[in-house]
Amino acid sequence: MRGLTAGYGAVEVLHGIDLDVEDGEIVVILGANGAGKTTTMRAVSGMIARTGTVELSGVDIARTGAEKLVRLGIAHVPQGRGTFAELSVIDNLRTGAYSRTSRAEVDADIDRWFGVFPRLAERRDQRAGSLSGGEQQMLAIARALMSRPRLLLCDEPSLGLAPLITQEVFDVLRRLNSEDGLSVLLVEQNANLALRVASRVYLLETGTVVASGTAAEISSDDSIRKAYLGA
Amino acid sequence: MERFFQYVFDGLSFGAIYALLALGLVVVFRGTGHLNFAQGEMAMICTFVVWQFHDWGVPLVLAVVLGMVVGFALGAGVEATLIRGVAKKSQAGVFVVSIALFLGLNSLAAMVWGNLPPEQLPSLFPDEPVDFQRIFGAVWRYEYIGVLVVALVLMGLLFLLFAKTKFGLAMRAVASNPESAKLAGIPTSLVLASSWGIASAMGALSGSLWGGIVGELGAGLMFTVFIYASAAATLGGFDSPGGAVIAGLSIGVGEQLLAGYFPGWIGQEMKLSVALITIFVVLLFKPSGLFGSAKVERV
Repeated sequence: MRGLTAGYGAVEVLHGIDLDVEDGEIVVILGANGAGKTTTMRAVSGMIARTGTVELSGVDIARTGAEKLVRLGIAHVPQGRGTFAELSVIDNLRTGAYSRTSRAEVDADIDRWFGVFPRLAERRDQRAGSLSGGEQQMLAIARALMSRPRLLLCDEPSLGLAPLITQEVFDVLRRLNSEDGLSVLLVEQNANLALRVASRVYLLETGTVVASGTAAEISSDDSIRKAYLGA
Repeated sequence: MERFFQYVFDGLSFGAIYALLALGLVVVFRGTGHLNFAQGEMAMICTFVVWQFHDWGVPLVLAVVLGMVVGFALGAGVEATLIRGVAKKSQAGVFVVSIALFLGLNSLAAMVWGNLPPEQLPSLFPDEPVDFQRIFGAVWRYEYIGVLVVALVLMGLLFLLFAKTKFGLAMRAVASNPESAKLAGIPTSLVLASSWGIASAMGALSGSLWGGIVGELGAGLMFTVFIYASAAATLGGFDSPGGAVIAGLSIGVGEQLLAGYFPGWIGQEMKLSVALITIFVVLLFKPSGLFGSAKVERV
């Protein structure tokens, strides 16, 4: 995306952001609270109005609505998970496949993600609202994957999770990335953890990109280390 | 004992009509969180449309189906044009819009159909004085049996739609979390307009069945039905379709029993107040209704 601006009402939050995610990359956005990380994600997935250029494989999608972008291959796991609390686990997964038509393929994918997330399989008929935080995060990711995305947007998957569960979530993301070539755009507060999985990193401050580079470059920059990595 | 059966049976038929309208209220509430005050008046207009089609020579059954189609278009149209824009700005505004709609539709009906002598809407079912069957000593009129069966079948279809179809899944998802529904690729605008459409079509059927029983149509046709339906939706829980049906049937039966056994101090005049007191008491002690969910969620 080039020169992306977006905001809420009259308030502009993003002031012209340039950001790329190449095929098969895990790109991480770091930044303090209020830097515009979540807004960036919402702008990419079409949940809020934005100006500038947003391209998906060369096609301009800046004016495409969220529902259509799912068909084009962008899936967004929102902050706070956004699972359907009143719906069963399996119904949650089915909603993720709403844009698809082949029932058999959808069922095969459900089986596949139940294989990857065995705890969801055990709770397939339970209401999503009764799952633990970690299970809900897994469900949110699995639901997003049900649309067979090319690009997965993941907004603070570690929020409110125990470190061990967070590690599990990140392992899954890394596996999907290396085995399926899934591109991931990740927002994460836990910078140390994020840098371990990232191919490249963007640093956001009050709505602008202040630094970017490979994970190695970013983690070796002293001033960035001090500000974001607490070391 | 036959008196008891009589009241129960009559009550079930009336209750089925209340339940149909109450289901409409619940479908809208689940989708958008709004209480549509014009639900009864939309049903009334649709019933006049049914009468009009029938007056033009369309067979009654077909006229009712056409009335439901018009009802769907009316409901979906109202949501897309009047409700959606206002809802974005203010939830309280939607309340005012639905009150305005209530008054507007009421005046419209009086304007278009009011000057004619009272329209007679025939019943969908045989309703001559001899058309009944005695069961347990009680008179089971074919008309009432028909009303009950049609209402229950339609409710059954609606539950199948909710539980078994992809569109029903989309409706439940939008009701649960509209933002996530959008992210899952569900066309939420279409789903919401359809919810209003379905609610209004249910109202059209409710009105046609009620009109057939009452016989004479007027702008006030659905007043009492709407109050009973609101009581049913409150009692059952505004987000529970099953609750609305059970509560609607119970209120119908309760109404007949109370008015029948206590003609002196409840009778026909006071039974509406009983419905309103029911709403009041339920809201006081169990705001989410008997079957509604008090939205509990682990985080």
